[in-house]
Amino acid sequence: MAKTEKTELFLSVIETNKGIIYRIINSYCKKVEDRKDLSQEIISQLWKSFDNYIDKYKYSTWIYRIALNVAISFYRKENRRKTIATPINESMFSFSDRLENSETEFNLGFLHQFISELKDLDKALMLLYLEEKSQKEIAEIIGISETNVATKVSRIKAILKQKFLMLEK
Amino acid sequence: MEDIEIISMWKLQNEKIEQSLAINKDLLLEITNNKANSALRSLKSIKITGLILAVFYILFLGYLLSFAVSHYSPAWNYFLISVGAIFILNMKAIADYIRHLVWVNQIDYDGSITEIQQKLLRLQLSIIKHLRMMILQFPLFTTFYLSSNWFPGSVGWGYILLQTTLTGSFIAGTVWLYRKLRIENMENKVVQHFIAGSGGQSVRKAMEFYKEFEDFKMEE
Repeated sequence: MAKTEKTELFLSVIETNKGIIYRIINSYCKKVEDRKDLSQEIISQLWKSFDNYIDKYKYSTWIYRIALNVAISFYRKENRRKTIATPINESMFSFSDRLENSETEFNLGFLHQFISELKDLDKALMLLYLEEKSQKEIAEIIGISETNVATKVSRIKAILKQKFLMLEK
Repeated sequence: MEDIEIISMWKLQNEKIEQSLAINKDLLLEITNNKANSALRSLKSIKITGLILAVFYILFLGYLLSFAVSHYSPAWNYFLISVGAIFILNMKAIADYIRHLVWVNQIDYDGSITEIQQKLLRLQLSIIKHLRMMILQFPLFTTFYLSSNWFPGSVGWGYILLQTTLTGSFIAGTVWLYRKLRIENMENKVVQHFIAGSGGQSVRKAMEFYKEFEDFKMEE
């Protein structure tokens, strides 16, 4: 594949799946500066792996695998921003809309808070569950058995339900 | 709140995101042209600087050794054995360091999360293995200056006692540290202090994640 053709295809894949990357970044990073760095790191790794993309997987599955792996390992790098010679100051994403329904917005805020408090691997599991990935697909992305996925998801869901219940009270 | 409500709330949010999210095309193109500075690349340059310094150190030790061999005298036996062992340990350390750099370069994040994270953890925690090997040279720094012409034959008992205590305590300290420096002992304050100078924060984070990872992999 020619360089331009490859770049075009890559840009269109990213454009189509930008929401996935955005949601992963927001779930794993609280600080705006960290979000900028992580978005750049994810896109760089996706570009690096693009040549080896195997079409037996959907693009979304491929993006989930790479983006979640990069996000999970992102926080283990020491003094990340200090090590970047020229930290990026531009944002990869711009988002300017809010949900009109205030109750939904409140509940969503609560859900995001709950997700952000989860451990890194549970967070990945929860995100994939919310994106309605099948148990088989989640098991493939995470690398654990389908039974284990089912057990872990129901455990996290039970905690979430309990938290929502307490919130309603 | 029921599952179905949570999922539909999430879907509603996703629809909004898809509609309103714009991606910075210029920045995206910069990345595809490899113009952007990646955090990983900067980390690599730090490692390469460390590697260059270590090579100079090895060259210096090699020069001392070759000088001692070419001007051999039995009086230099302590020096030859001590510096020779320090040289071998440092060579092994450099070889490991290069291997890690190659690993960092070859990491492809396209794999299952447990597989890739296990690889990364192995890389981050290999620093412990590296440190265990490096501390083995400590006692050798208390013997390289001795001469077989004067030690132990022509020195007083006081000096022999002092030297034996010094080398003995270095050996004891090294054995203690060597046994303590294990993933399982990361809670130990002395171990934490020791690791602090070698990228301790990332090792600590890797350790915390290692525990999380081990728990996560277990079938429930």
